[in-house]
This record gives sequence, C-alpha cells and structure tokens, in this order.
Amino acid sequence: MAKTFLGYRRDNGAAGVRNWVAVISVMDNCNPATRAISQAVQGTIPVTTLFVRGQFGADLDFALESLAALGRNPNIAGVLLVGLEESSAEEVARRIRPSGKPVDIVHLQPNGTIECVAQGTRKAARLVLQASQQRRLPCPMSDLVIGLECGGSDTTSGLSCNPTIGRMADRLVEAGGTVIISETSEFIGAEHLFAARAVDAAVETAFLAAVRGMEDMAVKRGVNMRDSQPAPDNKKGGLTTVEEKALGAMAKAGSSPLMGTLTYGQPPVRKGLHFMDAPSGAVENLTGFAAAGCQLICFGTGVGNPIGNMVTPTIKICGNVNTLKSMRDNIDFDVSAVFESSARISDLGDQLYDYVADVGSGTRITSEILDIRETAVSRFERSL
Amino acid sequence: MPRSIVLHPSDNVATLIDPAREGESCALQGEASGQVVARQDVAFGHKICIAPIALGAEVLKYGQVIGRATRAIAPGEHAHVHNFDSARARGDL
Repeated sequence: MAKTFLGYRRDNGAAGVRNWVAVISVMDNCNPATRAISQAVQGTIPVTTLFVRGQFGADLDFALESLAALGRNPNIAGVLLVGLEESSAEEVARRIRPSGKPVDIVHLQPNGTIECVAQGTRKAARLVLQASQQRRLPCPMSDLVIGLECGGSDTTSGLSCNPTIGRMADRLVEAGGTVIISETSEFIGAEHLFAARAVDAAVETAFLAAVRGMEDMAVKRGVNMRDSQPAPDNKKGGLTTVEEKALGAMAKAGSSPLMGTLTYGQPPVRKGLHFMDAPSGAVENLTGFAAAGCQLICFGTGVGNPIGNMVTPTIKICGNVNTLKSMRDNIDFDVSAVFESSARISDLGDQLYDYVADVGSGTRITSEILDIRETAVSRFERSL
Repeated sequence: MPRSIVLHPSDNVATLIDPAREGESCALQGEASGQVVARQDVAFGHKICIAPIALGAEVLKYGQVIGRATRAIAPGEHAHVHNFDSARARGDL
C-alpha cells in the first residue's frame, strides 16, 4: 500500500498538515491587534507583516497577494483579517475566498484597538470552533509540497543534512509529490550543474536568468559580497566562498529533474522539483515557501539557525555534533551518524521521509512547541 | 587521529570532521587515502590543503571550483578566507 500521512482535506482539494486559524495583519499598523487576538484564542496563529501602508502599484499588489497566499495555504482552516480600514482588508479577503475557507474581517477604524480586539476575539473563537470539526484523514504523499532550506550552514551541511534532505526529496518526488528549493544567491558557483537538470530549455533559461540577475545585482553594488554570502557564521563554520556554499546547498535538491522555475510565493502547477527565485535570508525565504503553498519545510543547519515559519512547520535537521550538543533544543532530526558511525545518507534520508510523514500527521516539532516562528514577506521596491 | 573527508579525486582541499592540532597527522577518507600533516591548528569543519595550490590557481572541492588562491597554499595549511577567495559576484574587482 502506498505511504500516506494524516492530513486535513480542504474544499479546494489541497491537504493541510495543521489546522490553524490564521489571524493576518493586512498592514504593519495592525500587528498589535493581530497579536492580541491570537494570544486570546487558542488554535490561532498570528501572521504579522511589515509595511504595506505606502506601497503602491505592482509592489502593493505583490504584498497583498503574498498575505492572501499565506491565508490560502492548506495548513490554514480559516482566516481572520485585521485591517486598519475596509478596502485593503477586503482586497485580501477577495483573494482568499476562492479557496473555499471561511474568511472574516475586523478593522481598527473607527472603533479603536480595544473594540477591534474584542470583536476579533469573538470572530476568531468561532472560526476555531468551526475548524475543530475537521478530522485528519489518510492522504497520499503526493499531496505534499515541501520547501527545502538551509541556514546557519557550515561544511557539515553539504556533507550530512543537505544530502539527507536530498534523499528525502527524491523519495517524495518518486511518490508523486513536489519539492521547492530556493535561495537564489546560493546557486552562484553551482548553477551549471543544476541547470543541466532542467526538463526543458524554457525552465533552464528562467533558472539561469534568476541566478545571473542575482549575481549582476551583487556586482553592481561594487563590493565583495562575502560579508553577507557566506555569512559570518558560515565562515566560522568553515565555508569560505559562495561557490563552496552553493555546491553543498544544492545537495538538498536530490537528483530529480528540475520541472519549473517559480517567482516569490508562486505555487507550482506541476509535480516534482521546482526552483523559487527569492532572497536567501531564512525568514523571508520560508515565507515565500508558505505563500507558494508548502505544507512543510525541511531546514538543514550546521552552526545552527533556530527560526521556523509561522504557517508552515519547519523541521530542523543537523549533522554537526557540536551544534547538536549546544543547540539540542532547536534540532528535530539528528544526522551526525554520517560522521560518527558511517551511517548511509540513503538510510538517513529514508528515515527523514518517514519522519516528514509523521510531522505531516501531527507530530510537533521544536519551532512550533517553543513558538520560534516568524513571518516576513520580501520587498523589492521603495514605498511612497 | 583527526579525520578529513575528500569529496572528489581531483580535489586539492579536504574537510576536517575533527579538530586538528599543529603537527598532527590527519587521515584522508572518501575519494583519497593517506595522511597530511597540519601546519597549524585547523578547526572542526574547516579545510586543509592536500596538494600544492599556486597563487591564482583554482581551489577544488566536490571536483568543482570553489575559489582562487590569493597566495600560494602548501599541503597541510589551513585553506580559508586568508588564502583564497570567491571568483564570483565580485563587484570589487
């Protein structure tokens, strides 16, 4: 019998691995109310954002679309939008409703924060009651879309956690599922190897254009970007150059063909391995995965980066024996056996695949239990 | 003996998976065998040179170019930001 996980089947056919009610800020000035409502109602998560007020044109459209996409994520059972005024909140609601999930709205104008939080608390409580009537059901692994991330990388990442994630990715793709790798700048120096795996010329061209665009941007700044890429902690962990980091990072993508190139937060339409063009910083990159509809993220770390996404549970995988001691509370899956007992990457990857199904079925991970979660939609233009 | 991993037969650096002290012999594993003597202390996870690299020559790991030597690197030397650098995305060159 084909492997399954226990997920929440949504009206649009997608399967969630969590059943949160998302309380979403429509702009930055709503965040205090969003946090207050979420704190008052068990079963909700706060999805805060920065800016939006003052953004315009395509940049505003991108910001609102990204917030709506977080609301549409299959892990979300229902949405309460917190707006300053009616029009922007309604614009986000309009983009979530086609998913079939309940969407409610509260505003800060004209009644003020206390009334807004009181109304929001009542509405969120009703949404949680409604969500709690859903039950987990067996879903095929092919329903999963998994983001592949690394952060706080060191030389152990390219030798242990990243290839283990790659094996898991190959297993999921084999089962008909989807994986997305991103962090465009971390392909500089390895792009020729990855481009050769593109399924057709259009995908290859789009992928190479994304990496070239990132490198051109870095060159235009007129500096050696190594103060940021590799980051100071990467270098302390033994990584010297972006090329070295890229060659290790690419191992997360396993060996399957590259089926598509996505923009920030764009959901894949095909199954299989995809690349998403997005900045490498974990918080904004993970938010891009969540907006693209990923239900889970596998996050390899070397020297240790604890952050997870609010909407999409983020599994921390580590092979550095020192980090596994010093940051033990932040790591979900230990792959140090690669070094310590010559364990095979393929065996560890198979175990990770089983663990992914467990987490998909409801097993909690550290970033959820300890609430080490954050949201940041990327910004590409200046505000008014 | 500290262990180091060589990922491709053409590589001129190996990755230490134990810390090495100056003068200590390090075992090469993976795609090469033998030993290299550390010319200085090299931390866990850092690279050690296993074949002479001339000034300006390519530094190879995974059988791929990971940068160029900014000064000559001798076998047993710690290979890192002080003696090689990226050849990509260099707005300063």
